[in-house]
Amino acid sequence: MILFPLTLAEPQQFSIWEKLLFAALAVTSGALFWRRFGPILERILKSKKDPGFHLAPIGRRVWDFFSEVLCQSKVIQQRPLPGLAHAFVFWGFCAFALVTLNHAAVGFGIGFLSPNGWVGRFYFYFAAAFAVTCAIGILGLFIRRFLVRPRWLGQKLSYESGFIAFLIFALMATYLAAFFTTDGTVAARALWWMHTLALLVFLPLIPHTKHLHLVLSPVTVFLSRDGFSQIPPLAGDEDFGLVAGQDLTQLVSLQAYSCVECGRCTEHCPANNTGKILNPKEIILGVRAYLNDIGPRTEEPLLGKYNSQEAVFQCTTCGACEFQCPVGIEHLPILIGLRRGAVNTGTWEDDYGAKLFNGLERGSNALGLSAAERDKFIQREQFPIFDGTQEYCLWLGCMGGYDPKGREIVAAFARVMNFLGTSYGVLRKEKCTGDPVRRLGNDLVFQQLAESNLEMLAQSKVKKIVTICPHCVRTIQEDWKEYGTPPAIEHHSEFMARYVDRLPEQNQGQEKIVFHDPCYLGRYRNVYDEPRAVAATAGEVIDPPRARERSFCCGAGGGLAFLGEETGERVSHVRAQELVATGASTVGTACPFCNTMFRDALASTDKPAMQLLDIAQLVARSLPSNEVPSKNT
Amino acid sequence: MSGIVVVLEERDGRVGRISWEALAAAQHLGKQTGEPVTAVAIGANTEAQANEAAAKSVAAVIRVEHDLLTRYTPDGFTVALQQLIEKESPSYVVFPHTYQVRDYAPALAARIGQVLVSDVVAIADGPVFTRQLLQGRLTGTYRHSGKGPCFVSVQAGAFRADAVEAGTAQISTFPPAIEPAQIRTKPGEPFRGSAQTVDLGSAPLIVSVGRGIKEADNLPIVQELAAALGAELAASRPICDNGWLPMERQVGSSGQTVSPKLYLAVGISGAIQHLVGMKGSQCIVAINKDAEAPIFEVADYGIVGDLFEVVPALTEAVKSAK
Amino acid sequence: MKIIVAIKQVPERDAQVRIDSAGKWIEESDIQYALNESDAYALEEALQLKEKHGGEVIALSAGPERVGTTIREALAKGADRAIHVDATDLGSRDALGVARLLAEAIKPESPDLVLTGLQSDDLGLGQTGVILAELLELPHASLILHVEKTDAGLTVKRELESGWFQNIELPLPAVLTIQSGGNKLRYATLMGIKRAKTKEMRRLTAAELGAATTPIAVLESVGLPHKQRSTQILPGTPKEAAAALVEKLKFEARVL
Repeated sequence: MILFPLTLAEPQQFSIWEKLLFAALAVTSGALFWRRFGPILERILKSKKDPGFHLAPIGRRVWDFFSEVLCQSKVIQQRPLPGLAHAFVFWGFCAFALVTLNHAAVGFGIGFLSPNGWVGRFYFYFAAAFAVTCAIGILGLFIRRFLVRPRWLGQKLSYESGFIAFLIFALMATYLAAFFTTDGTVAARALWWMHTLALLVFLPLIPHTKHLHLVLSPVTVFLSRDGFSQIPPLAGDEDFGLVAGQDLTQLVSLQAYSCVECGRCTEHCPANNTGKILNPKEIILGVRAYLNDIGPRTEEPLLGKYNSQEAVFQCTTCGACEFQCPVGIEHLPILIGLRRGAVNTGTWEDDYGAKLFNGLERGSNALGLSAAERDKFIQREQFPIFDGTQEYCLWLGCMGGYDPKGREIVAAFARVMNFLGTSYGVLRKEKCTGDPVRRLGNDLVFQQLAESNLEMLAQSKVKKIVTICPHCVRTIQEDWKEYGTPPAIEHHSEFMARYVDRLPEQNQGQEKIVFHDPCYLGRYRNVYDEPRAVAATAGEVIDPPRARERSFCCGAGGGLAFLGEETGERVSHVRAQELVATGASTVGTACPFCNTMFRDALASTDKPAMQLLDIAQLVARSLPSNEVPSKNT
Repeated sequence: MSGIVVVLEERDGRVGRISWEALAAAQHLGKQTGEPVTAVAIGANTEAQANEAAAKSVAAVIRVEHDLLTRYTPDGFTVALQQLIEKESPSYVVFPHTYQVRDYAPALAARIGQVLVSDVVAIADGPVFTRQLLQGRLTGTYRHSGKGPCFVSVQAGAFRADAVEAGTAQISTFPPAIEPAQIRTKPGEPFRGSAQTVDLGSAPLIVSVGRGIKEADNLPIVQELAAALGAELAASRPICDNGWLPMERQVGSSGQTVSPKLYLAVGISGAIQHLVGMKGSQCIVAINKDAEAPIFEVADYGIVGDLFEVVPALTEAVKSAK
Repeated sequence: MKIIVAIKQVPERDAQVRIDSAGKWIEESDIQYALNESDAYALEEALQLKEKHGGEVIALSAGPERVGTTIREALAKGADRAIHVDATDLGSRDALGVARLLAEAIKPESPDLVLTGLQSDDLGLGQTGVILAELLELPHASLILHVEKTDAGLTVKRELESGWFQNIELPLPAVLTIQSGGNKLRYATLMGIKRAKTKEMRRLTAAELGAATTPIAVLESVGLPHKQRSTQILPGTPKEAAAALVEKLKFEARVL
């Protein structure tokens, strides 16, 4: 052992008193842990069963666990430096599991890893390497929390986090120090006891602090719902969403206790970043506080003391929070669940909201316009009517059917389809997909719209839908499933991306196009490359600082486009400023809502004349202008 | 039973324009049926109205006068006109389709066992009455059957007031018997919608200004147009965002929803957020230099041109037309 | 206060109507129906009065079986119970005939207040409420935007033309027709719909309420209106265009 002269020193013998003391301390520590953790577990288990929850497919869950928990993929990817520091601490803990078990066993004289045997020797060195990185990691995190102090971690300094960082550091330090002393010495004994005390103090602290995530978050990640922003079905006649404690499901409670308070959700929240009161982290902690104070299975309203209704209705449902969360919390089902509770029982009072709901109860579109306007548009553009013979049903959506800018996008995309010789038709009786009411939590109107559209599509024998609106895509494909089987649907970016080779290559000099990822196309559907590939036929595509998964919302989602003026700064203005700052000459979008939001917002920037085009318009502008709409080719 | 009775409605002491339109309709009906037209002025002091009506081509003018008719009440008017109709026993009773007529004519008809054919837009031989159905999406033709007078109210603008033929007629007075107890409702003094706060929702005329105005300093030219028209001034969001006009004047999805008789959009391109706030307007006029602006799609009348030239010209034209 | 709100089910605003083969009405089979807009405001007024002064709101509607969905919507929004006058022959009744049915259904209830919307979105006659008052021998006021209960009865705000209003005092019982826009409408909720299932909906047949009388004003045929709205662009110099516009606004659109 020339190469590795150091050996982990152990106290060779313990007196009976020491053994008894250790046993007593260990039992106390365990009891203190359970005294807190037991009731938490009970509250989670006592919560309502999740309607529509299935463990299958198990493969997806195993993969999520491997990637997000074991590999710490999300933790590292989304915040590389602190993420890596955290990963080192986590991996250090994993490596230490065996060391800790042996450490305790030594206390009773039944150590199973000998520092002198080659297995033990190897493992202790292995663990020592992790101890070093773990110590460095926790030191880094300590510096970040107490010296750098990013605002996501909250205004108040968390001294308990500091103390725990100290304990973790002490665990590593006492372990490493034991390599520099010899067996049976006082020093070895002292180190053993220090290490033991650090462990026994740490254990009961876990359920009392955010370090509860050590225990819960692996389970939370494993049990997370299948798919992004998965809104669970309502179960039975008395389920109206998250109204009171009795509506909190096991998953919601588990997630509420899993929160590690890292604030990534808040860091990326467009509402919080523009001066609204919504703070997704506080929403989750509000649910946790409710569970602690009142518990599940109660009739006390969830909105009020613990969470504010105003905050809940400031959410654009952009999903940045849910995407960012490293411990598997699904913010959107909770936020939308709270909205459902307020809207389905009529406790949410909002003039704009009521107007939207009443309008969609009576009419066919979210804009409250007459369907005759849509007919006129169809006539003017000479769109063929879908009759079952065409390949695609071109779904206009409210924006595509009524909004002047949205109509331009639809017309441009229709020209692209004509150019490609794809047959398509539009529907006369199309209604709003129900996206805004779904996100606002109005299950009554959403059900009416979904059912009436599904019936109409079945009658029209529609097999494939293509649309310019990512909100329509999402709602039809995922949300309608609660009420039937929707036809296959894709976004026009996906459609056009298949034909990029046939789209004309534009040589417009050095046109720089900054592409804004729509939330409902990106985070909701995982489509990032297709719109870029399409836009690339028209110029050089560049990304704004926040792009792809980290794209910053335009402010229109979650029904907010219909809810009147925002408080604070406008989300769209912040984003428009960011897009302008890239120096691009054109803003490329792939969602009619983003388009309409930026149209106004760009005017407020110092480049009000900046070009704003949907990817379909980028393509269509180079097409020969005189081609005739092909009929049922 | 013969003759056509047309019931005139008073506006500021005179016969209102829509009443002349009703008279034109009655004359039209008179030509079709060959029946004489009698104009009826009703109130406490109907002399001026009766004199105006007597200068038109009517067979007679009747003043239905009573102190209890000083202020309109549905009970008073119903009691008085019931007596007149029973005495005259006309074949047709024609009204202008005003808010006041809508308030009592259905009850008057029902009291006589009849039904009012309301809001008629055309009268063809037969006579066949045309009305709008489903808010103008369809038209329906109605015929009156059975005994008793046929009650008809005529939509504003359906007949031309200037088509009323001139003539001379005798004026007579009919004093109805009305007991105070028969009048069960007590009407108050008419008042304007809240004057302090801007109530775009109830404004009959609105001039709305958009980004085309370029600077706050240019606003006076639009304000002058609004003043000449007697219209409220409104704006699209960017104008209010800039603080050039107060937020309560904003029309659109994040502002107010309006449905005036006339909505005159100046320099507004017509983003959807704006359109949803004013689409219910009866008549929309757009002035914009961009002929492709979406606002022209919803407009009834459009002027493509520089608003800094068009608006002052329009202000002059409005002033000289008054 | 015991309030009866007479509501009507009409074709949905965006329904694509087709004229039926006889040319007498529209094809009813393939359209969806909704609560008449001003009736929704009448219902809202009734619910707000009940919330303020207590009492009961009864929704009343006449029509074939499909009317049940609209009645349930009224119950979902907060009406306490409902009366459905089951009648399939409303098309052959005139305004007086329909009002007679409703009046017969109302009489045994002896309500304090009867509310209806100002007019229906389909036939647009705007008479049912006023005729009801006549048949029930009650005082009435129409085009009402606001209702205030007083010791003597009611003070209501009535809309006059051109932005003018008027307050009217009238004793109870009374009939009011409600203008759209006076209140903010509440929206129907899932909970309301579920709770509505347990509320009473009494069904009366037209025959029980008296035989139909011969209609006096008969809808003979329906057709499409001649001209669709289209934009007239006024050409010429600014001065010419402005003069042309004033002319059009005065004599064609008649809004000046």
